[in-house]
Amino acid sequence: MHDAHDVRRRLGEQGYLADDGMATALFLALRLGRPVLLEGEPGVGKTTAAKALARVLAAPFLRLQCYEGLTAAEALYEWNYQRQLLAIRLAEARRETLTDADLFTAEFLQERPILRAVRHTGPTPPVLLIDEIDRADDEFEALLFEFLGEAAVTVPELGTFVAQQPPVVVLTSNRSRELHDALRRRCLYHWIDYPEPERAAEILRRNVPAAAEPLIASATAFLGHARDLRLEKPPGLAEAIDWVGALSALHVGDLVRGEALATLGALAKTPDDLAAVAALLEET
Amino acid sequence: MRGVDRAAFAVALVRRLRAAGVPVGLTGAGDLAEALRVHPPVTTTALYWTARITLVGRHDEIAAFDAVFGALFADQSPPTGAARRGPAAPGRFAAAPATGQEPATDGGGLPWATLPAVVAEADTDDDTGPALPERRPSAVEALADRPFDDLDADQLALLAQWLRGFGTTWPTRRTRRQAAHRRGPAVNLRATLARARRTGGELMTPVCLRPVREPRRIVLLCDVSQSMQAQTAAYLHLMRALRDHADAEVFTFATSLTRMTARLASGALPTDVASDRFGGTRIAANLQALLDSHHGNLVRGAVVVIASDGWDSDPPSAMTTAMARMRRRAYRLIWMNPRAGEPGFAPRVAAMAAALPYCDALLPAGTFHALAEVVTAISSTVSRAPRAGTG
Repeated sequence: MHDAHDVRRRLGEQGYLADDGMATALFLALRLGRPVLLEGEPGVGKTTAAKALARVLAAPFLRLQCYEGLTAAEALYEWNYQRQLLAIRLAEARRETLTDADLFTAEFLQERPILRAVRHTGPTPPVLLIDEIDRADDEFEALLFEFLGEAAVTVPELGTFVAQQPPVVVLTSNRSRELHDALRRRCLYHWIDYPEPERAAEILRRNVPAAAEPLIASATAFLGHARDLRLEKPPGLAEAIDWVGALSALHVGDLVRGEALATLGALAKTPDDLAAVAALLEET
Repeated sequence: MRGVDRAAFAVALVRRLRAAGVPVGLTGAGDLAEALRVHPPVTTTALYWTARITLVGRHDEIAAFDAVFGALFADQSPPTGAARRGPAAPGRFAAAPATGQEPATDGGGLPWATLPAVVAEADTDDDTGPALPERRPSAVEALADRPFDDLDADQLALLAQWLRGFGTTWPTRRTRRQAAHRRGPAVNLRATLARARRTGGELMTPVCLRPVREPRRIVLLCDVSQSMQAQTAAYLHLMRALRDHADAEVFTFATSLTRMTARLASGALPTDVASDRFGGTRIAANLQALLDSHHGNLVRGAVVVIASDGWDSDPPSAMTTAMARMRRRAYRLIWMNPRAGEPGFAPRVAAMAAALPYCDALLPAGTFHALAEVVTAISSTVSRAPRAGTG
C-alpha cells in the first residue's frame, strides 16, 4: 500500500467505506508502525474498521475485549499452574530436583492476545484490536505502555519478548472515561465523526444489499432528523444498519408508518428515545 | 511540500498549537515529520488529516487545532468543512492548482513566515476566548450570601464555574457484586485455592470477599414555575453540575414533568428548559406522575432532592399521598426551599407543611452558600440525618 487513497480503495473492496481521515490514520499506523486510537460515538464503525483492516492485509485478527477488572493474566500471559504442579509431582516421583528455571519455561506459558501478537510468526504481522479500552481500569493502561511503545512484553521469569514484525494495533474507546495522556502520547489519534448523508446512504447500501433505494434514501433523511433530536443515545451507523435491515426483512419498500413504528426498537434503545423517535415519525 | 524542511514545519506548527492551548509534545512533532516523509500530502485536506492524526490526542482539542490550521491555510478552503460537505468536496478542487507548492502560494511565503500576524490573532483570541480559567475565590465569596434574585448573568456564570469545581465525595450504596479483599465477611474460595498453590496446596492465607460499593443514584426534581423564576437559572447550573459529577437524574416540573437528564448530557446548558416553564405549579401531581412513569424505578434507593418553594395548586392531601409514596421508595428525601433561609420563615404553605413530615431535611437554597450546604447534605447521606419536623 503506497498511500492513503490505496488504503481507502482496498478497504472499500472489503465493504468498509472509509473517509479521508480514517484512511490516513490507518495508512500512517501501518507505515509508522504506531498504534492508532479510534474514538467516536458508539456505532460509527470503530471495531469494524479494525476487522476490515485485517481482511485487507490478509493478516490474523486478534481481539482483546476490555472490561472492568481486566488484568495481566487475561491480557498478556498467565502461567499454567496445573501443569507446573503436575511437573513437580512427576519430578518428585522420579526423585529429581526441580529449579525455578525448569518450572518457568515457555512450555508452561499461556499466551493471551497481547503476547500472542508479539510472538506471532508468519508472513504478515497480526492485527490486534484492543476494544473499548475505556472499560478497563486505568491501571490496566499502564500495563500496555511497554507493548504499545516497543511492541515488547516482559515476562520477569523468562525475559523480554520483542516482536519480529510489530503487530498492527488498533485501540478503540467510547469515552466513558478519559484515557491517560501517556497512553494517548503513544498512539496516533483519530476521532470518527458520524458520516455525512451521502456516505451514510452508501454505507447502508453496502451493508443491506436487499434494501430498496427509496427506503435507503428516506431512512437516511429520517436518521439525520433523528440525530438532531436530543436523544439519550443518538442512533449510530450500527443501529441504522440494523433498522434498515429490519425494514427490508419485512419487505418494506419505503418508510410507511405502521411497519416503521414496529421496527423502531432497532433504532432507539430507551423508552424515552423510542417515544421521541416515534413522534418524529408521526410528523414526517 | 517539496523543498520544505519537514522538521521545521512540524516544529513551527506544534509551537502554534501549543500557543493555542493544544498540548502537543515532542513525540507529536517527530511523528508529524515522519508522517510527512512517508505520506507527502498533495492537498491541504491530506495535510490536514496527517497533521490532525499525528498531533491531536483528544476530541476537545480538535476545535483549537482546526482554528490554528485554518489560520495558517486561510486561503485554502477549510478542510473540516470540506470533509463534512461530502465526498465530492469542493476543497479538493480549490486546492488542486496549488499542488506541490501550497505553502509557497499561501501569502507568498512559508507558513511560519506569517508568525507576527498569528500572534496578534492569538492575543485577540485570548481576550474573547472562554477558555481562560478565572480563579477568583473572593468574587464567589462576595456573592455567597446574596439571594439569587439579585444576581446578573455574569455572576450566575461564576456560580456555574464554582459548581463545576466541586470535589465532593458522593454517597455510595452496597451492591450485590462481591470483590476480593484482604478482609471481608466471606471467603473467596477460588482466589484462596489459587494462592494455596504457591504453598504446595496448603491453605495459609485466606482471601476474602466483600461487597462492592457503587455510587448511589441522586434524583433532582426542580420546580421551574412562575414563583421560582428567580432561582431557575441558578438551579439549572446545579442540575448540570450534579448531572456531570454525580451522574444524577434530573427532572423539571411546573404543570407537567420533563426529564432533563439526556438534554443536559449533551454538555450545553439548554435554554429551553421545559415547555411549561414559568407556568403554574402542580407539585403533587408531578410527583405522582414520576412515580407512575417508567422512570419511577429511578427513585428506588436514591437520594431524592426536591427544589421547590412548596406553592402547590393541588390539595395538600394529594401532597401527603405522593410524599408518602416517595418516602417509601427513596433512600433519603431532601427538600430545598429558596425561602427557607429568610428570617422568620415557617413552613406555613399548606403543601409544604404536608410534605415536611416525609422529608429527611428541609434546607434553605436561596444563595450560593446555601447551595453548598445542600451539596454537603447530599454527600453526607451515609448516616440517617435527623428528620426536620417530626409529625
